[in-house]
Amino acid sequence: MADPPPVEVSQLTKQFGPLTAVQDLNLHVDAGEVYGLLGPNGAGKTTTIRALLSFINPTSGRVAVLGRHARDLDIRRRIGYVGGDVTLDRGLRARSLLTWYADLRGGLPWAKIDALCERLNLDHSRKIGQLSTGNRRKVAIVQAFMHDPDVLILDEPTAGLDPLLQRDVLSLVRERRDAGASILYSSHTLPEVEDIADRIGILRRGVLVHEDTLANLREVTRQRLELRFADDVPPGLLDGVDGVSTVEIDGSRARLVIDGSVGPLLDRISGHGVERIVSHDDDLEDVFFEFYRDDVQHDDGDDDRGEGDDGDNRADDHDDGDDVGETR
Amino acid sequence: MTHFTILKQMLRERRRGLIWWSLAVAALATITAASYPAVRDAGEGFEEFMDGLPEGVTQMMGAADGITTPSGYLNSQFFSNVFPILLLIYGIGLAAWSIAGAEREGTLEPLLANPVHRWRLAVERFAGVAILVTVVSLVATVVLVALRSPFELDELSVSNLAAAGVAALLMALLFTALTFAVGAASGSRGAAIAAGAGLATATYVVYGLSALVDVFENLRWTSPWHWLLQPSPLTDGWTFQAIGAPAVVLVPFVVVGVAVFNRRDLT
Repeated sequence: MADPPPVEVSQLTKQFGPLTAVQDLNLHVDAGEVYGLLGPNGAGKTTTIRALLSFINPTSGRVAVLGRHARDLDIRRRIGYVGGDVTLDRGLRARSLLTWYADLRGGLPWAKIDALCERLNLDHSRKIGQLSTGNRRKVAIVQAFMHDPDVLILDEPTAGLDPLLQRDVLSLVRERRDAGASILYSSHTLPEVEDIADRIGILRRGVLVHEDTLANLREVTRQRLELRFADDVPPGLLDGVDGVSTVEIDGSRARLVIDGSVGPLLDRISGHGVERIVSHDDDLEDVFFEFYRDDVQHDDGDDDRGEGDDGDNRADDHDDGDDVGETR
Repeated sequence: MTHFTILKQMLRERRRGLIWWSLAVAALATITAASYPAVRDAGEGFEEFMDGLPEGVTQMMGAADGITTPSGYLNSQFFSNVFPILLLIYGIGLAAWSIAGAEREGTLEPLLANPVHRWRLAVERFAGVAILVTVVSLVATVVLVALRSPFELDELSVSNLAAAGVAALLMALLFTALTFAVGAASGSRGAAIAAGAGLATATYVVYGLSALVDVFENLRWTSPWHWLLQPSPLTDGWTFQAIGAPAVVLVPFVVVGVAVFNRRDLT
């Protein structure tokens, strides 16, 4: 029998009173994979993560880490966790907290913890309450990575960190991934996980509205340009240009999809009476916002749904895995 | 394997607070004991005054045995009010923090991401609370035992003084356990304090008014203050009512609190 995926969420539903935080959520993270769980605040990312760590019980459905429930100590021994809002005992020195947590894991060599602190440039002799938000987050990151976990569950781990540190954290994540660990990495912005995630899932209002590999996402976000010529497009002008994958000509307009550089195209068309270049570029960020838009625009209730909507977003609730291009 | 790691950490973190509480209680015990000879010398006037008061009022003051005998004096000035109230404040504060307070401040979830059972965290935290309150009560008892000869309290046996100290400790632990249990079961620090402090106050009123109001007299057997003070361990020593009853009642509180905490959603 094949091993179950290290992180598995099946049909998870979680209700808090009348509020449904997560509904019928299915996702998994394979070994050696980074899964970017994306969504605006309140989409259900943290609820999913807290269920995975057994902090809350599913209303229905199940969650499993390494094939079992995280209530199992043997499972939790192999998990590293960074919570969304990092609050560690403020009165403790970072060093005391780290040795305490290391003791709870049966003792870890201090040299290893120290090396991690050094790598993140964390002064562990300070009290946690006196550290800046970023430094406090570093403590949380060190405690999550210090025991070389097989599964990392990271809830917006780099929020509040400067770009340099963000890069350090990403390199730590990459190292664990390369060692075969599974990483569930939640974030509310795509660029943060763009460089590291193998797959992403987009949550909105507790529902997974889209899931895809990053490679596929990139594929559908190739550059799209429209060229408007003064007269009809000169015949043959756009044939066989490096980097241009499709050409559609309609009188004086040409629509192109470009893989890679636009350089060869620009060389070819210069001096041929191009009046205007219109970019229909949907970069990843735009694709992402497409999924959010509903929430961003209608924060204050559902009453006006449909009015300003193009109607597509609603359909997305039901067609996971469909081509992103369709939402356009 | 880890041995009481959470308990040890809690005691380390609370060390400074414990020292201050111990010093305060030791000072209070010293002042109380040292004042006894003066109070006794002024005695007759006091006794006449007390005799003039209704029985219920003297009981409310913890002075049913009069206030010039060593036991009456210590009961009215120490064991029926100041001392158990201090233990209650210390214990309820710690118990409210131990689960619900930690949950509110956000330190519980990162801690529980470590390989520790929830029930173990709860048991070790309650043990920590109990140890800290015990140390404070022990300090007071030791001070009183040490000062009983110098300040003419040696009519009281060491055993009875110890019984009074343990009885006051257990009564405080009873409400502390209730606070802990409500906090562990609900995650609400406010509810925990309200339950512990509220019930401690209500049962104090029941006991205090029991000599004056018939309804309360019928109910006074429910009041841990009654168990503690009527009769007082200072005169009657290690009775089941003063020692056994609170010890028996606090156990189910802790068990239920831990059991509910073990399965519920963290808030």
